[in-house]
Amino acid sequence: MKLLEYQGKELFRKYGIKTPESELVQSDTKSLNLNAPFVLKVQIPSGNRKKIGGIVFVENHKDFNEIKNSLFEKSFDGQKAGILLAEEKIENEKEIYLSFSYSTDFRAPVLAISEDGGTGIDKAEIFPIDLSIEMQNSFIENALQKIGLEFNENLIKIIFSLWNLFITEKALLAEINPLFETKDGEFIAGDAKVILDDSVVDPKSKPFLDLNGDIAVIASGGGASLLNLDALIKNGGKPANYVEYSGNPSADTVKELTKKVLSRPNLKGCWVVGGTANFTDIYETMLGFVEGLKEINPKPNYPIVIRRDGPRQKEAFEMLKKEGKEYGFDFHLFGPKTSMAESAEIVVELAYKNL
Amino acid sequence: MSILINKETKVLIQGITGKEGGKAAREMMNYGTKVLAGVSPGKGGEKTPEGIPVFNSVKEAIEKFPDINVSLIVVPPAFATSAVLEAIENGIPLINILTEKIPVFDVAKIIAFARKKNIKIVGPSSVGILVPEVVKIGSIGSSLIATKIFEQGFVGVVSKSGGMTAEISRVLTEAGLGQSTVVGIGGDQLIGCDFSDILLEFEKDPDTEVTVIFGEVGGTYEEQLAEKIKKGEIKKPVIALIAGQFTETLPEDSVLGHAGAIINKGRGSAQSKIRALKSAGTFIAETPEEIPDIIKKILK
Repeated sequence: MKLLEYQGKELFRKYGIKTPESELVQSDTKSLNLNAPFVLKVQIPSGNRKKIGGIVFVENHKDFNEIKNSLFEKSFDGQKAGILLAEEKIENEKEIYLSFSYSTDFRAPVLAISEDGGTGIDKAEIFPIDLSIEMQNSFIENALQKIGLEFNENLIKIIFSLWNLFITEKALLAEINPLFETKDGEFIAGDAKVILDDSVVDPKSKPFLDLNGDIAVIASGGGASLLNLDALIKNGGKPANYVEYSGNPSADTVKELTKKVLSRPNLKGCWVVGGTANFTDIYETMLGFVEGLKEINPKPNYPIVIRRDGPRQKEAFEMLKKEGKEYGFDFHLFGPKTSMAESAEIVVELAYKNL
Repeated sequence: MSILINKETKVLIQGITGKEGGKAAREMMNYGTKVLAGVSPGKGGEKTPEGIPVFNSVKEAIEKFPDINVSLIVVPPAFATSAVLEAIENGIPLINILTEKIPVFDVAKIIAFARKKNIKIVGPSSVGILVPEVVKIGSIGSSLIATKIFEQGFVGVVSKSGGMTAEISRVLTEAGLGQSTVVGIGGDQLIGCDFSDILLEFEKDPDTEVTVIFGEVGGTYEEQLAEKIKKGEIKKPVIALIAGQFTETLPEDSVLGHAGAIINKGRGSAQSKIRALKSAGTFIAETPEEIPDIIKKILK
């Protein structure tokens, strides 16, 4: 889960990292107590807000309302801001880049740090962290030395605080860019980017992406579902969504998923696809699919291509044949003799044949 | 021959009294795997319906059965980390983690401690390891249907996706190409053994002539493998199937923003993996069905 800047900064303060004087701005906020000049920042989960005009300096209080209104009206990377963050302007000497995240190269958390922070940074020194021992001051001192920053107790403290936040909140990313160093030697976080681990925050979450096409996809298996969307697109199909269920979901889970995926208008086809399951009960999942299907209004009359294999596949297909006949669903059933890629071709052909 | 496990493998199952643990135990025994003991804190002294003794701790299980050389972790995410650390502490040389949705921080910690003690971790979110017609651990090849799709042969299979281990093996078997060992390494951000680790094992296995990998968008394990192949550390031919090319057409995902660019250096997309593997001389398959033809051409 990606936190917005102001939420990230709330966490920063909790862990003792200083942030600029600030106020939250709603669309009906009339005036601010903050001293001018200050900066207004749209609160959206996007990386380059500066580039797309989402960060604006306000020189005088009399300009506030006009700038505020324009920021709430505009859309940034397709998203509108629900809230703005107003912050005092920081006079700084230096902008440092600082982050903790995970590296698949080291298969460990890493500290990334650079003297040249700010927008557009794409290089920093990376220091892998050994989790079998406690984080030591000396680790941070060595890192600072390596990038040529002089020993600075305040900076070491900030890095330690960010590390504590990173491991205590089980974040996937804790980033300060830029970290301002003022001429008084103070360090203030100019921005906050914090991503929390979904398996901690929301363990039941399932990946779902809206792809705006017209073939609904219910795919099982993480890997197979990615492969199948590739195949669908290569065959000229336009997927309506990306969704995936893996493991051995209950009929109810599949039912809810079916309702979610098939509730969008203007669908031309539906593709239920998966490889040879190791342990997924095909009968159970297909039962859930049919139950969900029955609740879609208006009743789907587009072709529904099902390609499945695995435990209880035969029973599942017998049930589908019977239900399809009784309720008038346009089922096209395929077992392992038809490859997943072939079934992609079939669903594209059936869905678009009347065009 | 095989890699990681063989007919001498003696298994401990941590979480054996749970629903998934019990099911895994039964199906492993049906396949011929020697399951010696289980661990389930608070249930020590009991026996499973199959007659497997249950212990309160790994230490007690090992004292009674010092031959145990693999632990299978089928414990809910909240307890998985301490279960794995217990297995590491007791020096079990191979630990296969089936549990899904373990926080990345916990996985990183597991990897750090395993490294210190030179212990191999396969997973988390692994479907298991299977040597056709000999032995299997985990939920790979459950039920009658799936057990029929694996056959003995000379192709090593490694996959991030559990489902694709079965799909690829089925296609291979139908084309008359059996497998030496099939390994599900899991698709989490951080994993114990990656493609390179497993392929280095296959490199030493006289019965493996060629390997198939299934990779996915995300992480850099495929790119790291390409580096190893380029350096000549892996010489046996590799066929790769990489999923997730469609994600390139999505609006640019700036999930990790600057950190992503700094840490991954432009790697991680399906296209980046395919490019890296191609330039290392790996054969790229677009679908599972193409794999047997490629193998037959290579070995001609």
